Order: sequence, then structure tokens, then C-alpha cells
Amino acid sequence: MSGAGEGDGGVRHGAVLVGLVEAMWDGEPGALAAAREAVLDAAGADVLVDAVAVSANFHMMTRVADGTGTPLDPGTDQASEGFRDGLGVNDLVSRRHVPAG
Amino acid sequence: MSAYDTELPIRADLDAAHVAAMADWSGPGTWWAGEQRLAVVAEVRRARDVEPLPPWQEPSTVDLLVPDDHPLPGPVVDVVWRLTNHPGTLTGDWHASILARGVEPLAYVELVSIVAQANCVDRFADGLGLERMPIPEPGPGMPSGAVPDGVEVRHHWVPTADLSGPNVWLALSGVPDELAARSRLSTPHYLEGPAVFGDVVSDRFSLQRVQMELIAGRTSKLNECFY
Repeated sequence: MSGAGEGDGGVRHGAVLVGLVEAMWDGEPGALAAAREAVLDAAGADVLVDAVAVSANFHMMTRVADGTGTPLDPGTDQASEGFRDGLGVNDLVSRRHVPAG
Repeated sequence: MSAYDTELPIRADLDAAHVAAMADWSGPGTWWAGEQRLAVVAEVRRARDVEPLPPWQEPSTVDLLVPDDHPLPGPVVDVVWRLTNHPGTLTGDWHASILARGVEPLAYVELVSIVAQANCVDRFADGLGLERMPIPEPGPGMPSGAVPDGVEVRHHWVPTADLSGPNVWLALSGVPDELAARSRLSTPHYLEGPAVFGDVVSDRFSLQRVQMELIAGRTSKLNECFY
């Protein structure tokens, strides 16, 4: 999830779905059209629409979280402690934890 | 009325949610009138479509970028642009500076909600290569200014209601209509609230849950969102 890589990562159509998400982020029309075609060819129109819908949802939720100063939930905080460094998220400006006590 | 003119198989619930969102933005909210809410949506589009500014540069300080007769105050325009284009750069000090420029704390919450929702709806259209929904004329009415009992600053920068639930769900709880509006949009895009953390294996729509989480995780990382 955190960076470029080869293959599907164990997820069906993973590579073309990530390509679509990244093209949506970049917004360059030609690359986005190519990414849509790749998903259409590999997985079909229903998957294309639903994949774009999920990504759009997380463009919303990230703005809700970061616009309101939402801290990580305590359970997620503890559960993710061992792999956050590996994902490179501990250095993000948006890092926030629920204050102790 | 459909939101989009396309042969793509957009689900009826998804299409209806977008139509409903635009109608909702056109009417008065709790803190902003319909004209202002639609101006926020239009400003989200402008922030995305013009040459981007770096996060530290506020559009209200750029000559001729924000006209004198703009329907939104300068600090509000600055929030729209920063939240649209650089959400991962926001800090508590930045939020405090916006309040210090006269934006009321709960009006800020409603602003975040509209910006976030407009980013969702427009990025869906853009992602599929569709025309964005037209912005309608604003509806009549004045914002209610209603403040629910027990709303105060707890763990977020913004005031929240005294409820239990995931922190991102609580984020808009200081303005209940916005929490509801955001949830109505999320359900056909992703999952109903309780399923987000409760059922982590069931497939939804045409996607396997693991595909959904791959898309969600990659999108969140690109936005540099720690949550």
C-alpha cells in the first residue's frame, strides 16, 4: 500500500487497481484514461466504477480526519505500533495520537 | 434525474447519493447559507483546476486570485485550498490560526465536511472521465446555528459530541447534519459505518474486501494521512 512495487501483491487485479488510484491522484488525463482502460480490460466496468468510488471516498475521509485533527484510535494505535515504521507513516505531519490520560 | 450522462454501470444508490449531496449543499446548513455552501464547492473545483499553490502560500494573499467580491471570506478560501490540495500538511497551529482569523469552530467543522464531500464527488467524476455535476442555484433559508448539548473539544482539534465511536466518525459530530451527510455519501461509496470495523471480510459491490482495503490504503497514503 505504501509504495511502488511489482505484481498484484496477492490481491486480485492489485496492480491495475493501484495504477488507477495513483492516476486519480496525479490527475494527468492521458495516464488516467490508460489506467481506466487497464482496469476495464482486466476486471470490467463494474470493478472500475466501484474502485473509483472507493478511492473517492478516501479522498473524503482523509480530509475529514486531517481537517479536524482526528487522532488515531487507541486500539489502532497499539495494534499498528509494530509496522508503522515499515510503512513510513510515523514521519507524517498528520501523525496524531489520543493524548494519554 | 441522474448525476451523470454515461454508459458506465454506476449503481443507482451511488448516483442518487451524488444528486442528494448537491441538493444538500445548495440549501442552508447549520453554520453556512446555501450560497456560501455552493461557493465552497465551486472553490474546491477552482483549487483543483488552477495551477496549484505550495501549502504555505495562502490564496487570499495572492494578487487577483481571490476577487474582492468573492462570496467567501479570505480565511475560508484558504481552508478550502489547503484542505483540497495539501491535507497531509495540516497542523494544530494552522487550525488555530484559522480560528484566530474569525472562523467559528463549528462553522469550520461544516466547512471541512463540505470540502471533503465535494472532493469525493468530483474526484469520482474525474476518475471516470465524466462531466462533474453542475452547481445549481442556491436554495433559500438561513443556517440554524444549532449547537448540540455536550459539544466541546476533546481529542480532536474541533469540538465533538459526547458519543462513543471511531475518532474519524466522531470528527464531524459537533455538526450532526454534516455527520449524517458524510455518512450518506460514504455508504454507497464504501461501507456502512458499523461494517468498517465490524465486518472486515465480506465483499461489497463488485469488489473483494481486500481489494477495497488496498484502494483505501493506497489513497490514504498518497494523501499522507496518518489516521
